[in-house]
Amino acid sequence: MLYPWQAADWQRLNRERERLPNAWLFTGPSGIGKLAFAEHLAASLLCESPRPDHAACGQCEACRWFAHGSHPDFRRLTPLGDDEDEAKEGSKPTRKLPVIKIEAVREVIDFAHLTAHRSGRRIVLVEPAEALNPAAANALLKILEEPPAEVLFLLVAHAPQRLLPTIKSRCRAFPLTAPTQGEALAWLDAAGVDNARTELAHHGGTPLFEHDAALAKLRQQFLDALARPTLADAISLAEQIDRHKLPLALPLEWLQKWLHDLAGLRLAGQLRYYPDHQAALQALAERADLALLMGCYQSLIQLAPFGQHTLNVRLQLEALLMDYLNVFAARTAAR
Amino acid sequence: MTYQVLARKWRPKRFADLVGQEHVVRALTNALAGERLHHAYLLTGTRGVGKTTIARILAKSLNCEAGVGAEPCGECSACRQIDAGRFVDLLEIDAASNTGIDNIREVLENAQYAPTSGRYKVYIIDEVHMLSKSAFNAMLKTLEEPPAHVKFILATTDPQKVPVTVLSRCLQFSLRNMTPQQVAGHLARVLDVEQVSYEAPALALLGRAAAGSMRDALSLLDQAIAYGVGKVEEGGVRAMLGAVDRAYLYTLLEALAEADGPRLIAEAKALAERGVGFDSALGELALLLQQIALAQTVPAAITGDDPDAEAVLALAQLIAPEDVQLYYQIAIHGRKDLALAPDEHAGFTMTLLRMLAFHPLNAPGDSTPTPRAAASRPEPASRPAAPSEPSVEGASAAKALLARLSGRNGAARSAPATPDESAPADPEPEPARVEPAPRPVPAAPAVATQPEPGTPPSVELAPWEDAPDDAGDVAAEAWQAGASADDSAAEAWSEPAAPPAAAEPYVFDGDWAALVAELGARMGASRMLAHNAVLKSWDGRRLQLAVPESFRHLATRDYQEKLKAALAERFGQAPELSVSVEELGMETPAMREARFRQEQLAAARVNLENDPVVRQLVGEFNAVLLTETIQPVQEL
Repeated sequence: MLYPWQAADWQRLNRERERLPNAWLFTGPSGIGKLAFAEHLAASLLCESPRPDHAACGQCEACRWFAHGSHPDFRRLTPLGDDEDEAKEGSKPTRKLPVIKIEAVREVIDFAHLTAHRSGRRIVLVEPAEALNPAAANALLKILEEPPAEVLFLLVAHAPQRLLPTIKSRCRAFPLTAPTQGEALAWLDAAGVDNARTELAHHGGTPLFEHDAALAKLRQQFLDALARPTLADAISLAEQIDRHKLPLALPLEWLQKWLHDLAGLRLAGQLRYYPDHQAALQALAERADLALLMGCYQSLIQLAPFGQHTLNVRLQLEALLMDYLNVFAARTAAR
Repeated sequence: MTYQVLARKWRPKRFADLVGQEHVVRALTNALAGERLHHAYLLTGTRGVGKTTIARILAKSLNCEAGVGAEPCGECSACRQIDAGRFVDLLEIDAASNTGIDNIREVLENAQYAPTSGRYKVYIIDEVHMLSKSAFNAMLKTLEEPPAHVKFILATTDPQKVPVTVLSRCLQFSLRNMTPQQVAGHLARVLDVEQVSYEAPALALLGRAAAGSMRDALSLLDQAIAYGVGKVEEGGVRAMLGAVDRAYLYTLLEALAEADGPRLIAEAKALAERGVGFDSALGELALLLQQIALAQTVPAAITGDDPDAEAVLALAQLIAPEDVQLYYQIAIHGRKDLALAPDEHAGFTMTLLRMLAFHPLNAPGDSTPTPRAAASRPEPASRPAAPSEPSVEGASAAKALLARLSGRNGAARSAPATPDESAPADPEPEPARVEPAPRPVPAAPAVATQPEPGTPPSVELAPWEDAPDDAGDVAAEAWQAGASADDSAAEAWSEPAAPPAAAEPYVFDGDWAALVAELGARMGASRMLAHNAVLKSWDGRRLQLAVPESFRHLATRDYQEKLKAALAERFGQAPELSVSVEELGMETPAMREARFRQEQLAAARVNLENDPVVRQLVGEFNAVLLTETIQPVQEL
């Protein structure tokens, strides 16, 4: 399964087939279908009777196994961990930072050293590669550099600069292209997404995101409250986010984008994420104190690594929103 | 046979094939030739400089059937087996996945047995920095005195994580990064043998992108061959690397210098559409800013044959040196924060916007950025005049503006301390004072000429002081206090330039409140005592203080000693200090502060009550002013 905008990438990749690397590193912004692309590649490499364009046939035994997720020559390194236990508890979102641990990597190393079940080729998919914790990443180094014959690693990363340089140096990078706005809109329309244009803009032009109506509603509330900065709103907002057990990363990202648009409007008259809030943003941008705005953004950046941490979300968010209020308060007071 | 990546295929098999690292190779060959081998080596260096490679060649040299020497034959069964990775007496251990003490124990237990087929048992422990602490310690004894047939070769990218006890038992070689030229030369050799056509500039680009690592270079070369369908061309490599055409950066900086926000963002968008990596774009931007800063301070360092020289010099005129420093900092930080932004595009534009936000045009708080007049821009051709003053001739509008701004600030800050009328006695004109620099240095002479209290200038200088009230002498004292507090503040400012103790001994003029205010936090715990005491008498050596009855607990010896120490520091010698408990009816510094606060509060109340908006609210909506909740704003 490939997304429409990936056809050219697929062609480009097929030209490299004669010179298969030990490891491919697929990079690009999140939400453009890197994982789908890597899976497509894995299926086609494992397929026993691939079609002329190298795509998997979908008919052979290998393809059927792959579709069921039970191909014996395919391993997937993902930070699932104890996902199944939590699924039983109900679908409450987790706030744990997902990491790939060294035990999983050791298992993969053992797997790579065994002979294959089927055609001889074995594939290991690491997704996302940033989730490897330091020990796991180091444990992967040797096998990544000199894997046994016919073993191929596929790494998927949306922030490759966060990977160990020793890992990057062992992989062949393959940057995937993001869809143009037209392509993304067409795909979203076909997928039947409401407010395709707004949603697309909010996600920075990358079309693959979760269409969670409840979340979208909450985001709308959040943004509405941001548009009318008052202390009471800020506090109730923080409480509400906390009640929904959202990880800090989400409101952090919304606020980051909001500030980006504020700064953009103020200094350059352009915005990127929230065209539907343009009027409110414009009004706020006039009032904002630039130095404080940048300071507020900086505090967001400092919190960003802890987006999935078990910090007290409400407390952090309240502090952030106070910072945000100050952006406008200082200027009003000075007048 | 399946295709093997270049980095693996071209892993050197002999010392002679190695690129760079001559210092290591030479030491090892001499050791091998003279049979003076250490039993443990530690190889360090960044990724892809040849640590594992050297370890393997060394293992071959030791076990080659043709005899120990720097030139393993490469043909005997030992050499071939080592190349194929299945020689029984070469144990290559991946310390990163076998990190625990049990793994190491298992390995070391076998060290005592003689080698099976080779001459030496060679342990290559790769990524050794990942071993656990106990694993390292378990190694120590064996590492120090291994059996004669055992050689250890440790390799790591991160020697800081290796305990010193291990380091001291090993002979350490740090491998150097490859220069771009070395990399490019090697790539050319590889491509010649591989029969792939190439363009030399493409290899130079790859050499630079590899950042000192040969494996990076070969991985990139693989990618480039795949990208260019069997050819390595400059255009293709540039596109593949997302290398930034510098012309884009020039326009970016130009837009920045003119505070032209829309154009700046448009340029950023154009960069994104060309598929340029934002990370490398910020890196290049920082590099360019560094060159500009260089051009501003040492113009001679920018040589004429550099293709960028002209543009760099032009930009050096366009942007004020302070701004260049600021932008450089912002670029560096922005690059670090790129991964934390919602997406890279946002991170990049936010970095640019931040530069813009601190542009001098935006700094005073204009609501809309006004583009600078194009006419004020200097000709790019006009070169800097003198090395020390790079932009005197072509002083751009931004620089002038900046100088004005900083001049105003400086004047505002130093005005209270530098009463020009009060210092006519000062014989030598101070050149620093003429220039509107924000530095507080000019304050020093003013302080020196003003030891006598009660000079008129201080009266004019304290317009914010309250009008004198009730007790006459106290008020006068307060007046002087205010004035000399300013002086001392100014003095504190200028302290780095001329320490007052050295220049002139401090003379205490009997103004206790001022002294307390000046000493401030330096008094530590004794501050409480000082704040609540009044000066009873002072004869130049003996200081008598009195505290009211309610603060008797502060008059202990402990606090007195601390206060004495603080005073000694200020006076240059310890004064005699005595504290008595009695009511003198004079105002202590603490009381004075409380009084000021009350007055401020009263003023705030009156202000609020007389405020037309508040009055209107009271009148029309029947509002009630909660007077007890009013808090005066603390002036810093």
